[in-house]
Amino acid sequence: MLELRSVTAGYDRRDPVVRDVHLTVAPGEAVGLLGPSGCGKSTLARVAALLHRPDRGQVVIDGEVARGWRHRAPRAQRTAFGVVFQQPRLSADPRLTLTQLIAEPLRATGRAAEVPGRVADLARTVGLGDDLLARRPHEVSDGQLQRACLARALVLDPRWLICDEMTAMLDASTTAALVAAVEGYRARTGAGLLAVGHDKVLLERWCDRTVHWDELSGDAAADRTT
Amino acid sequence: MAETTWRPASARGAGGATATTRAWRVWSSAAIVTAVVLAVLVVPPVVNLDEQAVHLADKLLPPSWEHPFGTDDVGRDLLVRCVYGLRVSLLVGIVAAVVATVVGTAVGALAAACGGWVDRIVMRLVDVFASVPHLLLGIFIVAMFRPGVWPVVISVGLTHWLSTARIVRAEVLSLRSRPYVDAAISGGASRWRVTVRHLLPGVLPQAGLAAVLMVPHAIWHESALSFLGLGLPTHQASLGTLVQGARSSLLAGDWWPTLFPGLFIIVPTLAIAGLAGAWRERINPRRRSELML
Amino acid sequence: MTAPAPAPAPVLSVQGLSVRFRMRGGAYVSAVTDARFDLAAGECLALVGESGCGKSVLASALLGLLPANAETAGSALLGDLDLLTADERTLARTVRGRRVGLVPQSPAAHLTPVRTVRSQLEETLRELTGVRRPELREAAEAAADRASFPRGHLDRHPHELSGGLAQRAATALALVGDAPLLLADEPTTGLDRELVDRTVDELRRHVGDDRALLLITHDLAAARRVADRVAVMYASRIVEIADAESFFGDPGPRHPYARGLLNALPEREFTPIPGMPPELSALPDGCAFAPRCVRADEACTALPVLAGGGGGAGRDGAGRDGAGPDGAGRDGAGPDGAGDRGVEDRRVDDGRVESQGVACHHPHTHPRTVALEAPRA
Repeated sequence: MLELRSVTAGYDRRDPVVRDVHLTVAPGEAVGLLGPSGCGKSTLARVAALLHRPDRGQVVIDGEVARGWRHRAPRAQRTAFGVVFQQPRLSADPRLTLTQLIAEPLRATGRAAEVPGRVADLARTVGLGDDLLARRPHEVSDGQLQRACLARALVLDPRWLICDEMTAMLDASTTAALVAAVEGYRARTGAGLLAVGHDKVLLERWCDRTVHWDELSGDAAADRTT
Repeated sequence: MAETTWRPASARGAGGATATTRAWRVWSSAAIVTAVVLAVLVVPPVVNLDEQAVHLADKLLPPSWEHPFGTDDVGRDLLVRCVYGLRVSLLVGIVAAVVATVVGTAVGALAAACGGWVDRIVMRLVDVFASVPHLLLGIFIVAMFRPGVWPVVISVGLTHWLSTARIVRAEVLSLRSRPYVDAAISGGASRWRVTVRHLLPGVLPQAGLAAVLMVPHAIWHESALSFLGLGLPTHQASLGTLVQGARSSLLAGDWWPTLFPGLFIIVPTLAIAGLAGAWRERINPRRRSELML
Repeated sequence: MTAPAPAPAPVLSVQGLSVRFRMRGGAYVSAVTDARFDLAAGECLALVGESGCGKSVLASALLGLLPANAETAGSALLGDLDLLTADERTLARTVRGRRVGLVPQSPAAHLTPVRTVRSQLEETLRELTGVRRPELREAAEAAADRASFPRGHLDRHPHELSGGLAQRAATALALVGDAPLLLADEPTTGLDRELVDRTVDELRRHVGDDRALLLITHDLAAARRVADRVAVMYASRIVEIADAESFFGDPGPRHPYARGLLNALPEREFTPIPGMPPELSALPDGCAFAPRCVRADEACTALPVLAGGGGGAGRDGAGRDGAGPDGAGRDGAGPDGAGDRGVEDRRVDDGRVESQGVACHHPHTHPRTVALEAPRA
């Protein structure tokens, strides 16, 4: 169970973009969070993935209250989340090849020995050819780079996936392919998903349930589970 | 189908012309820098001329075949003195630039990586340092020591790290907010790993460029300090001491003891700056993707 | 059928436009290959395709903004000016802004961050229309009105604007020069659905009767909303040009790739096309889509040609094919290969020739022509 309890967050304490939000994702559930751009849903996604410290409120991961954010979060908690962002260009270190990009979390957690097998495996899952893996981000297209970013998010077998506008920059076919890769992973592992986006048609097709941003904050809260 | 006839795209701006000019500038700069490096590394040991040799009979000879740059007021050959002077100036310039860059990068990265009150205090200190004219500060530092090469290096190095620190801090701050750093944290990377693997490599080209750009600046500073009589002892040939020593002869109408060391200051520094400019264009992000994917 | 009125000259006529990049080591990357289409006044053509297919390079070629390692072939006639061979002076002084208005991908990056919208509008007006001081203020406000940019926000800086307002500010700037051709390069990336709809509706409104709009996008919903015709680009080639209504509507696309792209939409089957597009540096000799295509066979090792698209070949084809007004004359691809061009030019009511075509050996056929198609094993 991933629970966000009365989360208030933002970049200026006097004017938070997320106000008193409640949201729950059950294990194995896919929740779509719909909202217009600039409403604060990306901030909420970063709070959920322990990447942004909220001003108030709690994040509870499988019954355990998160005490720290970013580097202060215990590694086991941080790596329980796989995150994919909107812009693959900004989400990839420009100096790493796609193989290094995908393998980075394994190396960072001292599992370098597993790199060759896992990378080949995941590259197949997300549909990346071998010839692409040796390239750097500027040598591949947005769609190919986003596939690599998804592979990176999956490499540590996270229990929760946070996809923040993962497909907003991509064409229909790549969108469908990435969603299929995410769903394949979830079917195999039972991971939960929080997909943030503005495309109602897409999220309703993809997720078990969708919630609109306006239903989340303040009194409207209570996160109607359907 | 007919064979396709290709033609170069009508390049942007006076694109073709600037490309040629740019290449010319890079190559001439490279040639000058190479010549300078060869001159200061190879000539003194091989030629084995005594730059200090005094021939009072030959004092203040205008340029000739025997002395292409002429001689100074005690009859020392100016070409030899210039090469030795350049050697000292270049050494001072490079070491000082490296000192300044290392200090600046460390301070800037520390401020940005720690953030919070560390950042505020460090950057306020930088502001305080920057509010004092750095030539003045440099004079103050050399004045505390006996004249020599190292006080000058320290003086120039310690007064020039400020801009590097600011550049590095700004760059690290901007990189730190990139989603790829978020992704690294989520992938379990430690603070150290994020800094070493993702932040510093992104900053090093900028810092390296700042170092190269600083070499000419440091040479000028050394020259200025020496010209003021505060840098190197007068008998040690550096470009600054040469120009200083030539002041009296210039008033007497003898131009060569001033002109040639002056050119030795200007030309190599321009060449280094030219190369640094080309490097800056290379690391400019706008040029990174030639494919426009 | 009455004799058609003489077709008015197109605003933009692209013939055999190709762009390739010379890479280090002498290799070439083909970003655009043999693109052909006409764009008439009052018409909106949507160029769709996935990122990296070459559509943005095509836009850059039309604006003369290609990098120095690019080479071009063919022509892109804007009136009597070839945009591909015009020199930079001509492009800068008479084309960009004056004859081609650019609606940029990210307005926030396109606007100068340190100056207000008003000062940028005024500068552009001064530059392009020669309006001077006393009238300038009013002209800037009129220009803002045209793009529905609220006057009250004119004195704001770009970072103080919402995404939608920034897009309108950029559109206002693009409209200042009254250019007959509007070129919108991914104008809706990252915007919400409502904003996307509003943005493309506004673009459509500006096109009116006397301008043409080339909308480059990966967003099929946006294309569907405003386009009269759709051109689908795949691996540097335009593989299908079709009437938007039939493309998105009943008969559907004819090229297997275009069909796959539509089927990938979440409101349709939501299934991706298997595989990935080929590298532009190593395009196969035959059909570039064949490795991903269920219809592919030996015929596909030969390059299918999209004739038509407003090109000379298309006009010839119109006579030969004798396509009726509904374009259903003959478009089955027989196994004999006789129909593998799949070209249909049709005359619409105002006498304009609307070229359509598909570059495929085995295109999907429209349901009502199924009977005409020879059965295939």
